[in-house]
Amino acid sequence: MRKLGIGGFVTVGLMGFAVGGAAQAADLTIGALLPLTGPAAPIGIEEQNGVQFAIDQFNENGGLDGTPVEVVFDDSQGKPDQGVLAFNRMADLGDVPVMLTAYSSISLAIAPLGERREILIVNPAAQSDSLADASSYLVNTIPLVGDEAHVLANYASENLGKSAAIIYENAAAGVSGRDSFKKFFEAAGGEVIADEPVEFGQTNYRASLLKVAAAKPDFVYIAITQSQAAMADQIGQVPSFPLGIGNTFSSPFFGYPSTEGWYQTGIQSGYPSDELVTKFKEKFDVDDMGFFAREYYNSTNLILTLAQSLVEDGKELTGKAMREALFETGTFDSDVAKLEFTTNTASRPVEILQYQGDERVVITTGSVAE
Amino acid sequence: MTMLLVHLLVDGIVTGCSIGLVAATFAYFYSATGTFHVAHAGIYTFCCYVAWYCIGLDIPFVPALLIAMIVGALLGMMIQGLLYAKLERLKATPLVMLIGSIGVLTVLQNVSAILFSPNIIQFDLPWRTEYLEFGPILLSIPQLLIVILCPLLFLALQVFSSRTALGRQIRAVASNPELAQITHLRPQRMFLYAIAISSALVAVPGTLVGIDQAMQPYTSLIILLTAVVAVIAGGIGSLAGAFLMSIVLSIIQSVSVLFVSGRWSLGVVFAIFILFILLRPEGLVKRKFKREL
Repeated sequence: MRKLGIGGFVTVGLMGFAVGGAAQAADLTIGALLPLTGPAAPIGIEEQNGVQFAIDQFNENGGLDGTPVEVVFDDSQGKPDQGVLAFNRMADLGDVPVMLTAYSSISLAIAPLGERREILIVNPAAQSDSLADASSYLVNTIPLVGDEAHVLANYASENLGKSAAIIYENAAAGVSGRDSFKKFFEAAGGEVIADEPVEFGQTNYRASLLKVAAAKPDFVYIAITQSQAAMADQIGQVPSFPLGIGNTFSSPFFGYPSTEGWYQTGIQSGYPSDELVTKFKEKFDVDDMGFFAREYYNSTNLILTLAQSLVEDGKELTGKAMREALFETGTFDSDVAKLEFTTNTASRPVEILQYQGDERVVITTGSVAE
Repeated sequence: MTMLLVHLLVDGIVTGCSIGLVAATFAYFYSATGTFHVAHAGIYTFCCYVAWYCIGLDIPFVPALLIAMIVGALLGMMIQGLLYAKLERLKATPLVMLIGSIGVLTVLQNVSAILFSPNIIQFDLPWRTEYLEFGPILLSIPQLLIVILCPLLFLALQVFSSRTALGRQIRAVASNPELAQITHLRPQRMFLYAIAISSALVAVPGTLVGIDQAMQPYTSLIILLTAVVAVIAGGIGSLAGAFLMSIVLSIIQSVSVLFVSGRWSLGVVFAIFILFILLRPEGLVKRKFKREL
């Protein structure tokens, strides 16, 4: 075998570096830390579809400077401890500069790790208020539950009554919803006469529902993130259960006889083009491109836009550079949503929707500032 | 307040009946074999998914339930034949058997999620949300089925255990395996029968609770925990003690929300369990902590 001289070694080494450097500039692997098993899996799988669809569309259109973008999915099981393990796996083995996250407790657990390792964490759906300042490397593309609860509490105190009960999931998002709604409702002159926790993964709510109904509030604010269908069925069995209201994560309550006339806030979230929606439905064999799929699709596109701009500027694809690019750009407009970043949390309009038959009717649109 | 108490009592009784059959079948297998069969919770869930899948194929409810029971029995026999019997031959300690059973439970939960769905499932049965009125009380059809079928099956298990030849043979093996072997009763075969019976029966509350409330692969462990508390507090070896204690504990858990926040209701159950262990270790029905039927 012919030996390379020092000159040859250096030349090959430099060529290798140059090739490696150029490839590195356009190589991007995005991490997605989602609950793919466990009670939160239905939502996690919908989120996964949204991410995968965005990546596939981007790659079909040429990828990042000609190089396909990759995505690594890891399963948090909806548990913070598993989330931290998965974060470390993706950071150490996948070397990802940016990661999508889901669920408040998991996002809160990995937030400091993102800061320490300079990995940008993008949260498209978790809404605990603690996420607002959990880490400078955590950005929320959705308003937090406090923002929604504020709009809802003001609307409820003016239109639905002055006495409320609360049913909340005893986890980060539910507790945050309870605290925020209580604070803003009481500030608006209302009174919370009962509050009842339920556990994540629970499916029998009858005792809690009976207790809350017996308190006879004007309405019940419900902050649970899963098993809404089971709760809706059981509400139908409780005589004179009061009107229910909730935030975005109450969306699955829609469509049940027992929840007719209920209210929920919703973050304005549009659909991509009809062509893309049809493609999405065919690809994943689903009836609709749901809220979570759209939000994760949009947030993945946000990451890809940031990566594209960095590549065009000849910058490295690091978490730090992406974070800086996000705040430099500030506004990202798409069919799904217009995201404006002045803080770590995007500001977006909040709608008050009412369930009327087979439609969710927009009653009014507001924002915290209003 | 009185009406709320009545509603909570009824809710507790319904829940207690379903947990009661889980507890009685768990106690039956434990009494027969001495194996702390935690995987019983996995069979409970798996059978529910089987019934859900069958109903999704337009198989009527009753045949779907029977299929779930048969699958449950076969699954139980597989666990006994492929794991517990082998571990016993290897002279595994009860702790090793328990860990093996926890392993099977985890596998079953994951297999349920992979084979069927990781989602919270609801049955596509039109009568699922229909109610019957009993004065001020509304009971759903699945709740009624739980209240009727679970106690009936528990009684059938009692009768089988004490009045039939096979039931007596299983009891004989449980009481003295060596002596039973001498009299040509093969313990491993009896253990297979015991697990088949308890696994087939646990499919009933599994399916009915799934129809009533919804099911996901990971919820059954908390039901088994309450059932095990009932087995111990009811007196190990007493099927009646386990069934009755399940109802008592479920009523306490349900009614406790009148006095404490719902988050403490399970804590109340375990506090009672600790009191039982300290004050009446033999349980509600005195059996002195030995495996008996």
